[in-house]
Amino acid sequence: MTRITIAKVMDSFWFKKSAPKSILTKEEQKFQEYEKSPFKDSETLNAFHIILLSEGLDLSPLFEEKKVEEKEELRFATTRPTSSVISTLEEMAAKSGNFSVKKSESRVRLQGNECGRKGKLTIEAEIFAMTPSFLVVEVKKNYGDTLEYYQFCSKELRPALKDIFWISPTDNSALCSLE
Amino acid sequence: MGCFCSKKAQPQGYEDPIILAAETPFTVNEVEALYELFKKLSSSITDDGLIHKEEFQLALFRNRNKRNLFADRVFDLFDIKRNGVIEFGEFVRSLGVFHPNASVEDKIAFAFKLYDLRQTGYIERDELKEMVLALLHESDLLLSDDVIEVIVDKTYSEADAKGDGRIDQEEWKEFVLKNPSLIKNITLPYLKDITLAFPSFVVTSEVEESEI
Repeated sequence: MTRITIAKVMDSFWFKKSAPKSILTKEEQKFQEYEKSPFKDSETLNAFHIILLSEGLDLSPLFEEKKVEEKEELRFATTRPTSSVISTLEEMAAKSGNFSVKKSESRVRLQGNECGRKGKLTIEAEIFAMTPSFLVVEVKKNYGDTLEYYQFCSKELRPALKDIFWISPTDNSALCSLE
Repeated sequence: MGCFCSKKAQPQGYEDPIILAAETPFTVNEVEALYELFKKLSSSITDDGLIHKEEFQLALFRNRNKRNLFADRVFDLFDIKRNGVIEFGEFVRSLGVFHPNASVEDKIAFAFKLYDLRQTGYIERDELKEMVLALLHESDLLLSDDVIEVIVDKTYSEADAKGDGRIDQEEWKEFVLKNPSLIKNITLPYLKDITLAFPSFVVTSEVEESEI
């Protein structure tokens, strides 16, 4: 008596039927919701969206333990278009080889390929267009170890974004004027 | 009210968790968990059972001295009695609006009061501009006044449907219903897991103590 071969098993009706093709993780489901959200990406935002970027309107620190002076959310500004920001992030991910990339019109999610200390490091960049010529990009850690995230930010993220980031208040300030 | 005190005297503003649970989206256990959080926040600088502005700033920004227009507004709204401190009852009732199960209407109303800086019942154009400037300042971003005016004008014309130069509650509600992401910060998903975050409530639960 011989055993059924793997090939025959995979070919069987039972095998093909069993597992759903894609089982979305909770985060992936959330991401899909974002993509469908009524919040139209890359549209010029209104002032209230801008105001919402304030730390003073985010009460989650009351509930989370965060170390002093460590900011999980980084905000940058740029005059480059959204597509440029997205492709820069994609290039960075490709260069490091450590991340898989998911993107929508104004969000990029990078998920580490390997599990770190606390699971796969997942970073999300959200792009807000304040005016067509002025974007604010918010980068934060969605999942994974915080230290690994900070390392990622200093070793990979910031160098990659160095070219396109226009404002760094500590370096020099610049005024943006209407085109 | 009578003088029956179960253990030690409760601090000013303490309210029975059962009452708070009845009047907010929280369960009694969740209110008790919130009490653990409240005790932590209210004792960080002065241990008097009240959250002072500096303690609020410390909790939010990890910096007791950091001033922020929007945190001030939140603090003022939480301080329902307007006595300069946040008491436990006020804390729970205000956070109730942030619960995922709270009504959208309540959230919209809270946001309106937040942005109505001078509490005139309207969000005036100069208040909107002041808030945009505050955010830019907070983020160390500089924009020329021209660009800021464009942003404020555009927003105002969208929100001020009646065109009377100010945004009233009705217009605000319509505006948010068209832009639901505008109230995303008025929901804290963490509140659903509050009993997991503060498990010590199990030990001090008033309900269980009576059986000891």
